[in-house]
Amino acid sequence: MNAPLRLGLLAAAAVAVVVAAICIGPTQLLDLPRLLELMRSGPASPELERAQLVLWELRLPRVLLAAAAGINLALGGLLLQAIFRNPLAEPYLLGLSSGGALGAVLALSAGITIVTWPALFGSLLVATIVLLLCRRKIAADLPSLLLAGVALGALAQAFTTAIILRFDPGALRSILFWLMGSFAGRGWAEVGMLAPAAVLGIILVLILHRPLDLIALGGESAHHLGVRVRLLQLGGIVLAAVLAALTVAACGTIGFVGLMAPHLARRLAGAPHGVSIPATALLGVILTVGADLAARTILAGTELPVGVITGAFGCVFFLALLAKRN
Amino acid sequence: MTAKCSGVVPGAEADRRPSPGTATLQGRGIRAGYKEDDVLHGIDFELHAGEVLGVVGPNGCGKSTLLRAITGLLPLRGGEVTIGGERLENLPAMERARRCAVQPQIEAPLFDYTVGQFALLGRHPHRGALAPATNEDRAAVERAMDDADLAPLATRSIRSLSTGEWQRALLARALAQDAPILLLDEPAAHLDPGHRFAVHVLLRRLARERRRAVLCVSHDLNLAAEFCDRLMILSEGRVRALGKPEEVLIAENLQAVFRCDALRVMTNPFTGRPGTVFAP
Repeated sequence: MNAPLRLGLLAAAAVAVVVAAICIGPTQLLDLPRLLELMRSGPASPELERAQLVLWELRLPRVLLAAAAGINLALGGLLLQAIFRNPLAEPYLLGLSSGGALGAVLALSAGITIVTWPALFGSLLVATIVLLLCRRKIAADLPSLLLAGVALGALAQAFTTAIILRFDPGALRSILFWLMGSFAGRGWAEVGMLAPAAVLGIILVLILHRPLDLIALGGESAHHLGVRVRLLQLGGIVLAAVLAALTVAACGTIGFVGLMAPHLARRLAGAPHGVSIPATALLGVILTVGADLAARTILAGTELPVGVITGAFGCVFFLALLAKRN
Repeated sequence: MTAKCSGVVPGAEADRRPSPGTATLQGRGIRAGYKEDDVLHGIDFELHAGEVLGVVGPNGCGKSTLLRAITGLLPLRGGEVTIGGERLENLPAMERARRCAVQPQIEAPLFDYTVGQFALLGRHPHRGALAPATNEDRAAVERAMDDADLAPLATRSIRSLSTGEWQRALLARALAQDAPILLLDEPAAHLDPGHRFAVHVLLRRLARERRRAVLCVSHDLNLAAEFCDRLMILSEGRVRALGKPEEVLIAENLQAVFRCDALRVMTNPFTGRPGTVFAP
């Protein structure tokens, strides 16, 4: 089966998951004959108005936000895995997401409600430390880079916890829910921020697809083939950090999508980044929108943070990868 | 490498591309090293289009460091390197890659590229960021795969290759780069005798028929003496001798450099070229 066909199948799967996520919920939007009948019977029907309201104000922005977040996190993982030649790297495991969350929570504690810039600052700060540790050969090999990232993430999370404990109980609950990753209660404003970032991210990463192939296969030979290795590493981690920070600011920390999507993409579409980049973006959509659908339907009457679902799946995936490597 | 063990290959396909003006590599007074220690203490050499220059010497004498210095991986602490008349530090990375291809030592492959996809990456310096492969790209890759005797493995994953096959894949990618200068770091280190011989035949053919300037770091004194036009013997970061194999591969030099009494010089009775044997 050739690459375009595989990408086509992945795209079809992504569309199917998105349509399912739009239609499924407490207000079922699946019953097309019923909807058509309502439309024919006149515009003033309260049931139709309700369906429209659910579609435009709840489902559509939520699903689009989940799709954009999935793309951003998946692309971040793909970038980090290539530039560090580390198949287990991803924005959450390297602490970029936790750094962003710390920045956002610090801003909230100071009474600032626009958390995007503080989140960017937090993610970029962690990214800088990770890059320096790697350049100084302190965390250059596969396990030590991951350990350094996990340690930085744990530090950021400890500070985050210390800060949010000082919030009043009502705010604490909603902040915790956001920190765990959730698309509930978000709207078009967040979509307006995250979706352009996802589109821009795909374009930038596609332009870099061959340098990413080369650097993933060896830093020295990438140099010999005309890649400016240090510049690419810097640009790659900054782009991954920006995408992670915007995602954290919009919908909290969602782990492991950045690990799972690129791996599945390479398995299903092929290793060269020319095909694995679009496949990674599509799998980011499938995994995140699917996880959000599960998060709001698994338990009747209540909703889980989506980060719990991706964390559970991602943990198993991570262990399976470890088992396969050793 | 198609003409395995048959020795000389009649040349039909002389390449027009590498112009003589851009094909030479020159180093003057190269000093380079790691941390506070210099490894190279002033190396001078020239590499011309149409010749194979072999670089030999004991472990740690600076062979790989020299390759890293003349390709810009390691900053020069003194001296200068010019590629086709242009100073190395003034060459944009892509232009450097179009002029000079390198087969590195073994690097572990990370993802499951096929051998064909991997060799195609050698065309990177010739392609735009989003440009699909042209017929010229495909032809160069096909020729490189044939030369490295890899055509039957084109659809295999690079992670399923043996060490020797993987080393030939690295060679194929460097050949696909189609640069007038070709630098190789122990290209035959992991190969069986047949392929080791064939790689050296190929290097000489690239120099003779396609006017490539070839520099090959090697540990195999016999094959280097047999196939290189000139040899450079490095010792402790300096050039001990540089010249035709029969001029530099002499007992005095080997004794001083390798410090091994059992290593003796003799003449290959079939070719008349110098070589070494152990007489313990």
